[in-house]
Amino acid sequence: MVVVTAKQLDEIVHMLAGRRRVLLLGCNTCAAVALAGGDREVETMIQALQLAISRRGMTVEFVGGVLQRQCEPEYVEAMDAEDIDAILSLGCGAGVAMLAAQTGIPVYPALDTLFIGAAQGLGSWRAECSACGSCVLGETAGICPVTRCAKGILNGPCGGVNDGECELGDRPCAWVEIHERLESQGRGASFAHENPPKDDSAGEMYQWDLSAKGGSR
Amino acid sequence: MSLAAAFDSGRFVVTSEVGPPKGTDVAAMLETAEVLAPHVDALNVTDNQAAVMRLSTLAACVHLTQAGHETVYQVTCRDRNRLALQSDLLGAASFGITNVLALTGDHVRVGDHREAKAVFDLESVQLLRVIQTLNAGTDMAGKELHGTPEFYAGAVVTPDSAPLAPQLAKFEKKVAAGARYFQTQAVYDLASFESFMRFARRFEVKVLAGIVVLRSARMASFMNANIPGITVPEGIVAELTASEDAASTGVQIAARFIRGAREMCDGIHIMAIGAEHLAPRVIGEAGLTREVPA
Amino acid sequence: MATARTREQSASTGSAPARLFAPCRAACPVHVDVPGYLLAVAEGRFSDALDIVIERNPLPSVCGRICLRPCEDGCRRCLLDEPVAIAALKRAAADHGVYPTPRHPKRMRPERVAVVGSGPAGLTAAYDLACLGIHVTIYEEKPRLGGMLRYGIPNYRLPDAALDRDISFILGHGIESKTDIRIGRDITLAGLRASCDAVLVTAGLQLSRPVPIEGVDLPGVLTALPFLDAAARGMRVDVGKRVVVVGGGNVAVDVARTASRLGAREVTMICLESREEMPASDHELHDAETEGIRFLPSWGPRAVLGDDEVTGLRAVRCTSVFDAEKRFAPTFDESVSTILDADTVLFAVGQGVDVADLGVPLTQRGAPVHEPGTMRTPVERVYAAGDCVCGPTKVIDAIAEGHRAAAVIFRDLAGDDRPLVELDADAIAIGKVPEHVAHKLERKRRIQMERLEFYEACDSFDEVEFGYTQYEAAREAQRCLSCTTGARLTREKCAACLTCVRVCPHDVPSLQAGGYLYFDLDACHACGACVSQCPALALSLEGTSEAEMSRKMQRALEDHSVDATLAFRCGSAPGGFLHLGKDTTTLTQSCLLSVSERSVLEALQSGAAKVLFAECDAATCRFPHAQELVARSAERIRSILSQLGMEDAFEVVPVEPLEGEYLPWSS
Repeated sequence: MVVVTAKQLDEIVHMLAGRRRVLLLGCNTCAAVALAGGDREVETMIQALQLAISRRGMTVEFVGGVLQRQCEPEYVEAMDAEDIDAILSLGCGAGVAMLAAQTGIPVYPALDTLFIGAAQGLGSWRAECSACGSCVLGETAGICPVTRCAKGILNGPCGGVNDGECELGDRPCAWVEIHERLESQGRGASFAHENPPKDDSAGEMYQWDLSAKGGSR
Repeated sequence: MSLAAAFDSGRFVVTSEVGPPKGTDVAAMLETAEVLAPHVDALNVTDNQAAVMRLSTLAACVHLTQAGHETVYQVTCRDRNRLALQSDLLGAASFGITNVLALTGDHVRVGDHREAKAVFDLESVQLLRVIQTLNAGTDMAGKELHGTPEFYAGAVVTPDSAPLAPQLAKFEKKVAAGARYFQTQAVYDLASFESFMRFARRFEVKVLAGIVVLRSARMASFMNANIPGITVPEGIVAELTASEDAASTGVQIAARFIRGAREMCDGIHIMAIGAEHLAPRVIGEAGLTREVPA
Repeated sequence: MATARTREQSASTGSAPARLFAPCRAACPVHVDVPGYLLAVAEGRFSDALDIVIERNPLPSVCGRICLRPCEDGCRRCLLDEPVAIAALKRAAADHGVYPTPRHPKRMRPERVAVVGSGPAGLTAAYDLACLGIHVTIYEEKPRLGGMLRYGIPNYRLPDAALDRDISFILGHGIESKTDIRIGRDITLAGLRASCDAVLVTAGLQLSRPVPIEGVDLPGVLTALPFLDAAARGMRVDVGKRVVVVGGGNVAVDVARTASRLGAREVTMICLESREEMPASDHELHDAETEGIRFLPSWGPRAVLGDDEVTGLRAVRCTSVFDAEKRFAPTFDESVSTILDADTVLFAVGQGVDVADLGVPLTQRGAPVHEPGTMRTPVERVYAAGDCVCGPTKVIDAIAEGHRAAAVIFRDLAGDDRPLVELDADAIAIGKVPEHVAHKLERKRRIQMERLEFYEACDSFDEVEFGYTQYEAAREAQRCLSCTTGARLTREKCAACLTCVRVCPHDVPSLQAGGYLYFDLDACHACGACVSQCPALALSLEGTSEAEMSRKMQRALEDHSVDATLAFRCGSAPGGFLHLGKDTTTLTQSCLLSVSERSVLEALQSGAAKVLFAECDAATCRFPHAQELVARSAERIRSILSQLGMEDAFEVVPVEPLEGEYLPWSS
């Protein structure tokens, strides 16, 4: 799932200055599941923005709505954007892009898109995939070194590992975990496999092939 | 004498670190090099060490080489992608710099430019492989080089890392990828080092034991708590605590370790960390004599 | 009246989906929304609670006191500790709430209905018909309305003032009443029929007779109803020192306790039934016992002794009351007998109908002939309902009869069967608390109500039970497990994020094949954790919504200045004191989880200068798992407000018994 988080209100208010009627649009897929873009957050953000706007002596009318998925043109086409002069998207970057492309109305992001993550419990996700386009999880016991190792090292832990912790101190060392899991699965020999430098063009190629609308990052 | 030749001569090799300045004034660096040079086989030049931005390593190596010093060019993968790494390596070779220490590098988050994009397009094992490829006359894309470098590639290892097994596995990968010698993270415990050396001796590589001269008990405790992969045994901390002249005691501790390690490994690498002046004392106390270069 | 069945029964009949009721609501003959009003009481909203009760029962003050509460037998707390004091909380609603302003129908209908008798059935039918726009006149033989409620149930259980509150509420709907008029004597039925479109006979059971044994003609032999009637009218009937009451039902208990209040030193109840079989309800018997009434079960009266006046009663051992088919067929062992000394013998052994002079065809036992389904008698446009046709039942059954009679009459007169269809709608009771949930539920004893000490009680006709204070009522209502009011999922909105699964303490939501969530209502106790966290607003609790919260906040803020503080108070917090500014208004919630971040922001936008969360503490918390969620929510609110530069506009405060201003339950 794409994990997202709300921007600071100041930044959003700044984007919306001068707008008359703004549609706050949630996304009931990843953003809702990430507890940042469902109906509840749309309603909460409308209230927060109303407070923010009125304290600045401005007037902007806010209306709320939710699409099942902002990143699908059919859902966007079915949306009612009558008399709306800006959309504040509570979706990921793909949602913002799709809304902007389909509606012709200025679209602003209310969220920052963080990573592709897996749930760790209530309101907690861990980055598990960086959409690099050339997956090595088969050799790394399902633990992504590109994502989970701070340096994206493909061949084992750096010298910064500290009792199994990353030198950044904010996560366990991915390579220690990979080593442990490979050993526990009797696949210790996999560790010796030398991974060549990554093909950084791989992700782009897929994007290009599938949509013919991508481009280099 | 080149570093490779020094190893080959069978002597107990000594290298020491030199840090490039933050700024353009290289006078102090050159001065330090002059102090160290009589006592060491090569000067090892750090690369934006600890992710703190400094004058380029390549430029520093050129200055030192031109002053007549044997250098080890440290290359980290943090700040440059594969194009920049290859082109800098070729640049170094063009100045006659052949000793390269291949490192992944500390993360930008620990340095003084925390907002920087950490590149890590390659990492140490892959960089060693790239050096091997360049030595063979082609670049990573398989294109032929006009003029081929002859790098003598080294790498690092942390013998006291916890857990140790993945660290040793990676050591093997580095050997396979072309590392000819290793310098270790700072080591203090002879028994533990000996056990590491028994493993390392299974491979045809040279090993320099890493030496960090302790200047106080506080420094020892700080390293235990904060520097990954360094373990200062309690006995040594107690020794420093009891000492009235901790700096001298630190020198003695380092010298004692070196004497003990002399038969185990191929040399030492002194990381002075801002106390380069202590390096000659350590070398002296350890009984390692150098001929003064002509 | 809607019939409540178990879910299994419903499944086997394969009928249309029925309404799902909490067992208390299903067991109530008029299906009062018990969880609904208990929630309102728990939140200190007594008037809301009263509204909810009156929706189905126009006699809340009466039933709050003397209902035999089949609801409490159904309470799912019975299996954990003891049932919630549902009836007493109804009384609390009537005691502390404000009766709703009578709803006058938009347009009065042309029809007129006469109701004969003003007991619970008659009053209820009159109320329903009046609400439907029909002109109703109640005819009552006695000087005041209420029937058995006034003249049968003693004042110490149901004071006139309590009854009058309900009656005046009912009469407030434009109902006329004519007292001291007996139909069949003062006005003929034919005359009555001529003046209206329908007549409903709810005459009740006004006769009581002694058992036909030797000596019952002696002075000093009395029967229950005239005795209770006299006592109700304030007459000091002289019963002497020793009284024997024959009978083991609730009326007998009333008679015994009344006799004791009239000066009897020694009151003994004898009955055919064994102690276990005595038909009086347990709590009535318990109350009688504490007041010193002696029970002699398994005795059959054989003769009242005495020459000119009563001196005693002879009785023989009753060996069994019912035969194998459970029919009344007492057997006796004449060899075992006893003699009880008595100055007065009071018979409380069944009641009879007294409508012989009414002029409708009668059954063998003297009741009006009637067809139970339609309530029609053979006389056109004359209906009969309540005890006069059903025999002795509970007050709440009579109320149910009244509802049905009104619905039937309305259909016949107005051709509109909607009220009847509503009554007949099927309802299902949910099942038992599942094992995996039961062991997680906190055991909590019922809050004991203050009452007269027995030595004070048997000295006067003052009401024995004091009723709950507001605080006691709220605490008792918080024992409610909120059956069936739990999470409702709107599947179309669900994002299948599993947040509900992660926050539910009882594993109520379960993941089904295909990624759908199923909510087991048997296990849910409506803590609201899932509702408070659902990002898609796909979950709701019955009776609560953001829109409702919004209205409550607007109302609360209406009468206050722009600098008002709005305090959301956890209903589980002990009644305590809190340092508050002068201009503070309070909304009590069953749990602060029901206050969304959006609501807090809305309150600030709507003019509140500050919002407080007045928290319960760990000792009183009703939903311990909610504490962390409330803390998260508070943190989120703080974060938003700090981004707006309004850090001071929100605060979480404990409700502690400190010096300060009292934080009221509601305002």
